[in-house]
Amino acid sequence: MKTALHLQDADAFYEQLLDAHQGLSMEASELLNARLILLLANQVGDAQVLKECIEAARQTAPE
Amino acid sequence: MAASYAETPVTNEFAQGRGYVLPEYPFVAPPEIASGEVSHHPIVIVGGGLTGLTMACALAGYGIRAVLLDEDNTVGAKGASSRGICYTQKSLEIFQRLGIYERIAAKGIQWSVGRTFAGKDEVYSFDLRQQSGYNLSSQPPFINIQQFYIEAYLVDRIRQLAHVELRWCNRVTAFEQNNECATLAVTTPAGDYRIRADYVIDATGAHSPFRKWVGASVTAKKGDDRWCIADVRFTHRPPTERHTWIEAPFNENRAVWQHLMGDDVWRIDYQMPPDADPEYVSREDVVRDRLARQFGADCQVEIVWVGPYAYRSECIDRMRHGRVFFMGDAAKVVSPFGARGGNTGVADADNLAWKLAAVMKGRAAPALLDSYHEERHEAARQNVLVTNRTARFLRPAPGIEKLFRDAALGLARQHVFARQLVNTGRMAVANSYTSSSACEPTGGQSVQNVSFQWSDGSRGTVNDLLQWADGRLLVLVFGESTPSALARLRALGETAALRSVQVVGTDDNPAAREHVRDPQGHLQGACHVFGHAWALVRPDSYVAATGESIDATLVHAIGKALGALEESE
Repeated sequence: MKTALHLQDADAFYEQLLDAHQGLSMEASELLNARLILLLANQVGDAQVLKECIEAARQTAPE
Repeated sequence: MAASYAETPVTNEFAQGRGYVLPEYPFVAPPEIASGEVSHHPIVIVGGGLTGLTMACALAGYGIRAVLLDEDNTVGAKGASSRGICYTQKSLEIFQRLGIYERIAAKGIQWSVGRTFAGKDEVYSFDLRQQSGYNLSSQPPFINIQQFYIEAYLVDRIRQLAHVELRWCNRVTAFEQNNECATLAVTTPAGDYRIRADYVIDATGAHSPFRKWVGASVTAKKGDDRWCIADVRFTHRPPTERHTWIEAPFNENRAVWQHLMGDDVWRIDYQMPPDADPEYVSREDVVRDRLARQFGADCQVEIVWVGPYAYRSECIDRMRHGRVFFMGDAAKVVSPFGARGGNTGVADADNLAWKLAAVMKGRAAPALLDSYHEERHEAARQNVLVTNRTARFLRPAPGIEKLFRDAALGLARQHVFARQLVNTGRMAVANSYTSSSACEPTGGQSVQNVSFQWSDGSRGTVNDLLQWADGRLLVLVFGESTPSALARLRALGETAALRSVQVVGTDDNPAAREHVRDPQGHLQGACHVFGHAWALVRPDSYVAATGESIDATLVHAIGKALGALEESE
């Protein structure tokens, strides 16, 4: 799993992500996120990396 | 009168303690009032803020006459207000050329380390000195200083240079323009008069009346984010570093900025609840409570200035309307994040000043003036885009936007990549020009004020070369050149407003009389070229074009940079 920055343009990506959610209900947003995760996971492909990402996401406890 | 938020960080403020004493300038009755005649001036600048004064000073430096009209008799806003505080390397390089940098450096505070926190955790930090881009210039990455100091230094310098007449307490009340000229109606304590101009610079700020007068369209966006500044002096235990908090536990988990300016004054900028009451948040006891929550009940602070503000984002769609050029906040208004307000006003002025000077002196075609919009509107749009992103991170819409911010902050505590998502402001840069009719695709980038060696071994800087070129284009030819190439260059210099210098390494043999040495390649790097090359540098320290051999491409680039070529090739 990469932990260093790999995004070409982090700010532009973040803006695109928020824009994609604009005007959606919370339920519709959750569904969008779920679809997006599955799409991105297929881009990654590597089973070991996906496993580590899932673990990292679970470990990062919200404050 | 009901208290209200200033739309830029001014007004509804109070000052106490030693506060600030602003200089006052004398009102002199303009000659037009006694004579009753309408005078004609090539250039009238309206507004004596940071941008208007930079424009006036730059024109004066090129020896161009102008009149500046300002509605009050001091710098800074009325009262002892603070406003802008952070000046970028590019602005400082410009101020060096204008002759006020030493005073800014002596009064201001240099900084390069910034730390960002969420709750108690540091999520992000940077040291600009470690970033290779910054450390080659003769000016530091940033200096923090109260805006009115720079404005006062500019006034002093303008008076020293002459050429520009500063008219205080002169308020413009009406404007019209036609094929002949622009006409401005002006009111003063001694009466009203009218003045004509070939070109008008609108540097009147965020509430520009010219937008309506010329029918300018503006793209705008307004939010509910509210802030309250406390500029304070500590008599006991001052902070030590520039810090930002996205979620400050001592400010109801809202954002806080803390940075030092001149005179040991710290600017503490607190994010308030959305649509908070400005009167309440700026009440002295409320401000003191807030400071005590951050710095401890025993902190001893003198409050220099308090000002609640809201921000909006606005960008005029055309920066030139006939004879009127919009610059600074008159052209675009952005949130303060990243120091992209005042600094871009300074760059606007520096961009137009040399072009106007070149046109006035007959060195460039009037068409060059259109490149002001092309270049500075691209910069304005970029600055609006970048500051809007920061504003959205700092004040996410409730729901999914807040959720993503929580996720980004959570990941940033453990994973380096996510720190790049934490957006407390992307510091202003010298914007590149990618769609200018005055630049080739190989040009459009800023040139840092790096050092080299004069032929006698003494140290010189890019700004020294620009001063030597005195408002003309500058061709730097890197590496050893053939005599015939240098002869072609000399011939070019006789037909265009151009000066040229050969730049050689330590062991190379210079063939040109005008040559300098660049032992470490800093000058070459600053000009964005490698090996045998030329760079066409403009008076605003941007490369108009770069290339390899001294041939038709250089001739073409020079024509373009002087507005002399049609767009049809």
